[in-house]
Amino acid sequence: MSANLPKGFEALAPLVEDWALPTQNARQAKRRSSSTESLQAFYDAVVPLLPKILAHVDEFPMGELLEDSQLLLYLSLALAEVAPHIELYRGDPNVPHSFEEERFIAEHGEHTG
Amino acid sequence: MNSVSAHRWSEKYPHLGQGPIPAEPCVSEDHYRREIAHVFNTSWLYVAREEEIAEPGSYKVKRLAFADSSVIVMRGKDGTLRGFHNVCSHRGNKVVTETGEETFGHSKAAVLSCRFHGWVYNAEGALVNVPEEERFYACFDKDQNGLASVHVDVWQGFVFLNLAPEPAQTLHDFLGDYGSHMAGYPYAEMDHSYKYYTYLDCNWKIAHDAFAEAYHVNTIHAGSFPDVFSTGLSDVQLFGPHRTCGVCLNMSTAPEPVAAIAQQHARGSLVAKAERTMLPPSINPSGREDFAFELSVAFPNLFLHISEGIWFTHQFWPIAHDKTLWEGKYYVRAPRTNSERWALEHAQLLQRNAWLEDTQTMENTHRAIASGAKRLINLQDEEILIRHAHHVIAQCVSAAE
Repeated sequence: MSANLPKGFEALAPLVEDWALPTQNARQAKRRSSSTESLQAFYDAVVPLLPKILAHVDEFPMGELLEDSQLLLYLSLALAEVAPHIELYRGDPNVPHSFEEERFIAEHGEHTG
Repeated sequence: MNSVSAHRWSEKYPHLGQGPIPAEPCVSEDHYRREIAHVFNTSWLYVAREEEIAEPGSYKVKRLAFADSSVIVMRGKDGTLRGFHNVCSHRGNKVVTETGEETFGHSKAAVLSCRFHGWVYNAEGALVNVPEEERFYACFDKDQNGLASVHVDVWQGFVFLNLAPEPAQTLHDFLGDYGSHMAGYPYAEMDHSYKYYTYLDCNWKIAHDAFAEAYHVNTIHAGSFPDVFSTGLSDVQLFGPHRTCGVCLNMSTAPEPVAAIAQQHARGSLVAKAERTMLPPSINPSGREDFAFELSVAFPNLFLHISEGIWFTHQFWPIAHDKTLWEGKYYVRAPRTNSERWALEHAQLLQRNAWLEDTQTMENTHRAIASGAKRLINLQDEEILIRHAHHVIAQCVSAAE
């Protein structure tokens, strides 16, 4: 699948298919099913571009992103899901010493955006 | 730093004592039944935010498993909120078919129509239409067959109900000084919400107690909030059956890279600092620089936390002596920009993870206490909110019997 990202973000294109996910539930499921190595690789790829991503998405009003910019926002939201696992949980794909995540129901979990 | 007594809260509230408390009420079926009768069936219970049922004709149905009941809170065309048991006067069907613990709906005509045989009630609870009414008998009186009403009242946009036929106190009097202490925060402006729930195989008090102290932060939250919060409380205040305190930050902690970027863009994180406070003057009376959030409990089962840019609630709904519905709801102002949206996601997910850490102990605690191997619970001074909770519940139960 070829993913189009805005100019300057082409390096992230290989991540789009797996990680540009529209709902919090989908991003959480992706994080939980990923290996430590793939979480680290995703983190390492996106973090350097994060300030540039946030500046880019702020060129659009809330909720009015063009399709390629929306994909970029989804990638950044996936980073929000992944970052604590790299920065705080030593790469553990699950929250260590936690309640069973699948029993925690997010009422907003299927909302897009 | 001034020397602070290690027993400062016990010295402030000596009537609560210092000894261990009995573990048995946390696992006893008999004690559970008495709590339902003398606490939950008679207290004001928070069930909705006004924003959830803002329009005339909108309603929310809340299941109350402890009472084998569900209650409809509906806004009439006159703007008034009223509460009704969700039971049809015909043959007892649920008037509103529920889709879960919380069910929302709206009727343009501000009426409720039972799906079973089409009986229609207005927002005052009156029975206004019965299909084939002529086939009922002369003794049937529509005026006597409205919905059974439930007392409902509002504080700061929080809608409470009381299942007692005649509540002993108004909501205002029930909340008392607690209501004044927590009033004036911009709850309604911050209505962008994230909501979680789960069913816990534990007593509701065990769930309550796990959230009612900061002694656990260095162990339970070593993952999500390492060295972020102080284990000691600030400004503990007890207001009748209600209780509150401040939770403070360890200000030396430097954030990780993504967390640091999130804090620059955030308006909705427990650790983000604001230039101008939105907190009422009653909060953080000692003016601590390291104040993070107010942790308060409106008796019996509402935890209400307020901070700069964010407020959140936990509620613990008893289902059985060993089963509890937990609800965690997180509120911020709606993000204005896409980068704020992103930063909010980061803060909110970290909070979710902390709640996953908080809920981890509860079922284990219940199973362990139920073994009967230990009869007592030991509490240190910074666990005074737990001591107070058990004290108030014991008082309610014994006063009524």
